[in-house]
Amino acid sequence: MDRVLELKDFNVTYKNKTKKVYAVKDINLTINKGDSLGIVGESGSGKSTLAMAILRLLPERNTEITGSSNFANKDLVQASEKELKEIRWKELSVVFQKSMNALSPVHRIGEQIEDIYRVHKPNARKEEIFDRIKALLRLVNLSERVFKMYPHELSGGMLQRVAIAISLIHDPKLLIMDEATTALDVVTQGQILEEIVKMEQTLDVTRIMITHDISVVATTCNKIAVLYAGELMEVGYVKDILKEPKHPYTKGLLSSIPSLSGEKETLTGIKGHLPDLSQKYEGCIFAPRCEHAMEQCGKSKPSETQLTGENRVWCHLYSQSDRGEQLDISKNLAEVNR
Amino acid sequence: MEEKKPFVKINNISMWYPQKSKSLSQVIKREKQWVKAVDNVSLELQKGEILGVIGESGCGKSTLGRALARLEHPTQGDVFIDDVSTQNLIKQDQRKFRRTVQIVFQNPFDTFTPRDTIEKILMRPLKLHGIGKSEEERKQKCIDILESGGLKPAEEIMKRYPHELSGGQLQRISILRSMLFNPQFIIADEPVSMLDVSVRAEIINMLVTLSREKDATVVFISHDIALTRYISDKIAVMYLGKIIEYGDSETIINRPQHPYTQALISNTPSIDLDEIRETIKVEGEPPTPVNPGPGCYFAPRCFKATKNCFKHYPDTVELESGHLVSCSEI
Repeated sequence: MDRVLELKDFNVTYKNKTKKVYAVKDINLTINKGDSLGIVGESGSGKSTLAMAILRLLPERNTEITGSSNFANKDLVQASEKELKEIRWKELSVVFQKSMNALSPVHRIGEQIEDIYRVHKPNARKEEIFDRIKALLRLVNLSERVFKMYPHELSGGMLQRVAIAISLIHDPKLLIMDEATTALDVVTQGQILEEIVKMEQTLDVTRIMITHDISVVATTCNKIAVLYAGELMEVGYVKDILKEPKHPYTKGLLSSIPSLSGEKETLTGIKGHLPDLSQKYEGCIFAPRCEHAMEQCGKSKPSETQLTGENRVWCHLYSQSDRGEQLDISKNLAEVNR
Repeated sequence: MEEKKPFVKINNISMWYPQKSKSLSQVIKREKQWVKAVDNVSLELQKGEILGVIGESGCGKSTLGRALARLEHPTQGDVFIDDVSTQNLIKQDQRKFRRTVQIVFQNPFDTFTPRDTIEKILMRPLKLHGIGKSEEERKQKCIDILESGGLKPAEEIMKRYPHELSGGQLQRISILRSMLFNPQFIIADEPVSMLDVSVRAEIINMLVTLSREKDATVVFISHDIALTRYISDKIAVMYLGKIIEYGDSETIINRPQHPYTQALISNTPSIDLDEIRETIKVEGEPPTPVNPGPGCYFAPRCFKATKNCFKHYPDTVELESGHLVSCSEI
């Protein structure tokens, strides 16, 4: 399968004179062509940092990125500003939560989209650009009139649609949406999410969706990566993980979300709070809050365990003592219950 | 079903804000434009009941909460708690009113004075209201209430400043503080929407347990529909300052009748993958609540709208016992 983005030992550290904050740690993640990956985590889990670091939008003066992120035969971590400029919008684009605020209030929407089109195709004819923009506006369910309007004439939902249209203008290979629908109302959000899914059936785009809301991932993504305190807990197919979460953190997270249908179940939540990220921890980072924590969890970091298919989990409950041996989950779990 | 007397009776409460005249003709004619943030809302709550108020941003649900807590003086209407008019109560004895009605705000980081320790923050209201004979007695009461909410060791926490505590801990203290006087009526305005999902559950559970223990009536304001269903006995749906549907929470969630409620629920993303739902499309965005109408406020966006809907605001109909809907197409 075609790999679009491959992160290897990806670390992001914020630093100032006195201390370091380890925001993202040892991420190994591959995104294949046509995937839609949802990255979920609570605030402080490093999900936005991860996105910004992939995009290389973090200020260099106080951040340190190590490892590699391979995208379009380039290592984005090492890429120069000039190389990045060539990739941005064209192959890698982004929609932020407040992307709509980036629109200039004194220019018409059409002019602003045109500007971005010309970044990569400076010699394009006007008609060509107009056709492209109008097709894009239709794609995100906006009328062509928007082309001649100013940002203040549009509502938040429409502006966010414009931002999505802009991000798609050069048919990027990878689209990152960082809480792109969080600020919107339920009804508007629901509609935009549906449009995104529909639109991808015709486009050739791979998407990373960063959100704190698992239900958004459930409706729009096929894969999910669960982040906690900057570390990956579990990665895999949405349909597997939401039905049968393996990692205790994912379990806790899912049991904290009330459901709209079916029986009312008591919400349990997870006790405790996020660890201090300016320190390095020896064991599993979730161990202090984990109800299944064992002796081992405080001592060593769990390594990656391959479950069925592409699903992976980082937890001692599932780690194999010998490679090639059958997973001895039941034994481990029984031990915990005892 | 036995007809019980409502404990809290919200009677035609309205909150209008004047808007600056925009055009010259308005200035000359002295026409006043009103933003009808809350418009003629009437609700009844039984003792110990939890009412969820849901709606999109800007629909006036927070303003309703503020008006109920008398942080703003409603333009018209009144709230009766156990047959006592709060309008009169607040004039005669404001402290007694504050002991009866309490509000929990959304942002725990803004709720507390940053310069005071938790001890000072909790002790001040007790002293003001003359509760407890001595300093020690008041302090013991603070410790007790903090420990009842699972904040241990309480004495350690009381020495701290708000910025030294996490959002979840602060919101717990905020809820516990509102419970200090055993209030009869609590307004919780999005109490957990600033918090992380994993800490939400505990705080919500704490709010429910405490209010059940004290038999307090709660208005729970939220935009999270699934959470509102989890916590409330009754749900009221607001749109542009008006309650458009009201009923038992299960009825509203499973069998919504108003087109807006149907759209709202069908557009809520769910984590249940097996659930197949048809999403209902709604055109446009909510209009401004400046002189809306005539006709149903939702009509311009409604998929069921007929000509009739644009003529006058629909009456409220009772479909089955306790399920009220304001829609002329039902």
